[in-house]
Amino acid sequence: MKAAVLREQNKPLEIEEVEISKPAPREVLVRPIAAGVCHSDLHFVTGDYPSALPTILGHESAGIVEEVGSDVTYVKKGDHVITCLSAFCGHCDKCLTGHLSLCQSPEVSREAEESPRLYRGDETIHQFLNLSSFAELMLIHEHALVKIREDMPMDRAALIGCSTTTGVGAVFHTARVEPGSKVAVIGCGGVGLAAINGAAIAGAGMIIAVDMVDAKLEMAKSVGATHTINASSGNAVGEVMELTQGGCDYTFEAIGLKATTEQAWQMLAHGGAATVIGMIPVGTMVELHGVDFLFEKKIQGSNMGSNRFRVDMPRFVDFYLNGKLHLDQMISKHIKLSDVNEALDALKTGQEARHVIMFDQ
Amino acid sequence: MAKVEVRTDVTGNVWKITAKTGDPLNEEDVIMILESMKMEIPIEAPCSGRLVEILVSEEDSVDEDQVIAVIESS
Repeated sequence: MKAAVLREQNKPLEIEEVEISKPAPREVLVRPIAAGVCHSDLHFVTGDYPSALPTILGHESAGIVEEVGSDVTYVKKGDHVITCLSAFCGHCDKCLTGHLSLCQSPEVSREAEESPRLYRGDETIHQFLNLSSFAELMLIHEHALVKIREDMPMDRAALIGCSTTTGVGAVFHTARVEPGSKVAVIGCGGVGLAAINGAAIAGAGMIIAVDMVDAKLEMAKSVGATHTINASSGNAVGEVMELTQGGCDYTFEAIGLKATTEQAWQMLAHGGAATVIGMIPVGTMVELHGVDFLFEKKIQGSNMGSNRFRVDMPRFVDFYLNGKLHLDQMISKHIKLSDVNEALDALKTGQEARHVIMFDQ
Repeated sequence: MAKVEVRTDVTGNVWKITAKTGDPLNEEDVIMILESMKMEIPIEAPCSGRLVEILVSEEDSVDEDQVIAVIESS
């Protein structure tokens, strides 16, 4: 099969012929139809996050089941599925207390001494986040996918596989935004826009979108932002405090920077909660003014929207199909697998929404 | 020659140890791969030298900033 392989950081992905193993008893072979090119993929190209190499990136996809392992009963050949990196074991403390996205069990990947899922001759190709969706086939654990209804367009479904779940989930599950509350979202990429859309669905009273690109702020309005702030002025915190007359009940950082994380904290009202969704580079420290804790401000991380994806994703599909979740404008371009480097370059400029790879093209 | 400790950046589990004691290493050679939050994170040699000690085993849990190996720098 063809796949886009990352062999060296800060170098283009190479389209190569890669081999894929047969499904083990609890594995599923999926033929992806659509795969989003996400900013998180870029973090691993640039080395902001380290990754074992060579690897096939891609972690936001939807497709059709091609073959199942002997113990798989949840799906069958032909089922439409969304894949998810939050593969869960189902029996650890985190899973059993409802925190499936925090499952750390290694059993959803193959053990070191087993033959790899992806390879080229004698060379192991590391599977990225147990998925690797920039490839014509994916071999994944049965707990890394969810069945969806067949009237859901695959390109939109792919977005639910990461950005939508991360943003909407941060609002619903991590922060538990209350109806009528004041919300600010810093960063209006795919995840930030999903958080804004989620805040609108949750019934937030004021939703302030903060970004430095006017086109993204316009998009933020189309998915539910009630106010926008172009942070180029350098006083986003002051503008939020003035708009809200005292700060937000909830803020969301959806970029992954020290400065914007600290701003998310500074934008809070007394008793408010800041949720950091963005992937802050490894080794970065964040500084908070200690006295603020006396005002019961809270700060927390959110990984993949604290999801329970087998419950959440079919609900998000319904939200899309009944018009509450706005995914159409999140896709700026449909591309071929061979155009993946162009899509990664586009992410660096921050000017566009997502490119989605369509494998039937 | 100085002994240099190799430390982890993140908590995780040791998935695979790819080097063995006594191996000569170049800076940035992969010593082991951790699994953390579904990511495979390589632990690389911070300097060139010889790997004199590996302090963890496959499947061990490791903490942030834990010393997991020692290199004798060249």
